[in-house]
Amino acid sequence: MVDLALFLFAMGLLALSLRRPFLAVLAYLYVDIVAPQKISWHLLASIPISLITFLAAFGLWLVADDKRDSRFTLRQGLLVALLAYCGATTLTADFPVEAAEKWAWVWKALLFAIFLPLTLRTRLRIEAASLFMVLSAASIIITGGIKTAVSGGGYGALRFFVQDNTGLYEGSIISCVAVAIIPLILWLARYGTIYPRGPLVRLFAMALIFACLLIPVGTQARTGLLCIGLLGVLTLRTVRHRFLYVGGAAVLALAAVPFLPESFTKRMDTIGNHQADQSASTRLAVWAWTWDYVKDHPLGGGFDAYRSNRLVIETRSAETSGSTTDIETSTVTDQARAYHSSYFEMLGEQGWPGLLLWLWLHLSGLWQMERLRSRWRKRALAETAAGGDGGASQWQAPLANALQQAQLVYLLGAGFVGIAFQPFILMLIGLQCGLWSYLNRIEQPAGAALAARQSAPVNRGAAALP
Amino acid sequence: MVDLFALALSHALLALAAWRLVLRDDLDADREAGRATGRRKPGTGPGDG
Repeated sequence: MVDLALFLFAMGLLALSLRRPFLAVLAYLYVDIVAPQKISWHLLASIPISLITFLAAFGLWLVADDKRDSRFTLRQGLLVALLAYCGATTLTADFPVEAAEKWAWVWKALLFAIFLPLTLRTRLRIEAASLFMVLSAASIIITGGIKTAVSGGGYGALRFFVQDNTGLYEGSIISCVAVAIIPLILWLARYGTIYPRGPLVRLFAMALIFACLLIPVGTQARTGLLCIGLLGVLTLRTVRHRFLYVGGAAVLALAAVPFLPESFTKRMDTIGNHQADQSASTRLAVWAWTWDYVKDHPLGGGFDAYRSNRLVIETRSAETSGSTTDIETSTVTDQARAYHSSYFEMLGEQGWPGLLLWLWLHLSGLWQMERLRSRWRKRALAETAAGGDGGASQWQAPLANALQQAQLVYLLGAGFVGIAFQPFILMLIGLQCGLWSYLNRIEQPAGAALAARQSAPVNRGAAALP
Repeated sequence: MVDLFALALSHALLALAAWRLVLRDDLDADREAGRATGRRKPGTGPGDG
């Protein structure tokens, strides 16, 4: 039954794309995020649905879509350079077989991120892509949120639709992504036009945000807790009543503690006491190993280069009983440990050139979103002051802000999880490129219209009416 | 059961969104800002559409 429903849903999306080609792009977003072929065991599992939707998205864009407003941006150029560089390191990789396996999905994710902005040439398309990304991720987050609320979850124990550790189905990754999309959910609930602002939309958005916050509790991924903390601080920048917000957040956090599972609070305690925690100590050892590795391999060792590491880790745990403290030291040997950090993943696998390209890609995104935010905020204020309702310029700055916050949350989470090429984040980058290109394109006529309106000698309020 | 609920809710919302998008002309051509060539809001002057 589920099998048939998922199959019909995917086919329905593809059928609708014959009427509106952009729907095929949305279908690809959905398939790549939810991976319905993994949930299905027969119909969708037996066809290459990801390839079909990509070919439909690209083919229909090529044949049937208007391309006059499509622009190629600098950051898409960076993605092309990163793609070419990763291709080159794959050819000379330390572990050719494993590197080829990772390359097989990385190039697709990069290619789609390069392609996506070309299709985002209207406001509604940008909103639709955001909505599909959020709702697709929501299918995983809702199930995780409810299970956490009911059973409490556990590290590596929270089961989503499938017992799979890839894509968004991995605990640390979904924790980071769930927190990162909270600003986007808020933007959609406030400025969305597909599901316009209203009590039902607000209710769903609040419930979904609650589920997003429960995901780090359910997966017990420490990264998620750090991401929530960062998002809380970032929100201070835009929130209207700061003191009220800080007070409310503190009260909520204190009230939530008694409801948290004991295993969660125990695990979170290890954030500060990393020496006793093997997972954290291993991380530090891998990072030190990577640092040494790039001294000999500055151009990187290709995907999965970490497989050659061999680590000796010393962990120390202190147990106090009365006036005596027992310090227990143990030595663990480990090998082929993954990077557990996107920064070190890039450094080890793609060397300095790859890391610099990747950092350039992300830092330029933060800068672009900051510029859009400041420019369009001023424009909205100017339009309102000029007598208009500012309606046409209200949504841009908050979206740039939401995409920037999402990226900052990701960049923090990425410090502790190897998700440098996570397709969802690459889609987010594609969305940023699309927004940057779209707003720069429309800015000229919009600016001219505003100037004309401001210099008009007639009643300004009347002049602003359509 | 929880999985079914999550799948049904998210897919119903996705399907309704897709249907609403198909019915909207501004998916393919902006009403609000127009193209760089200078299209304006409908009703604000010549050259609409």
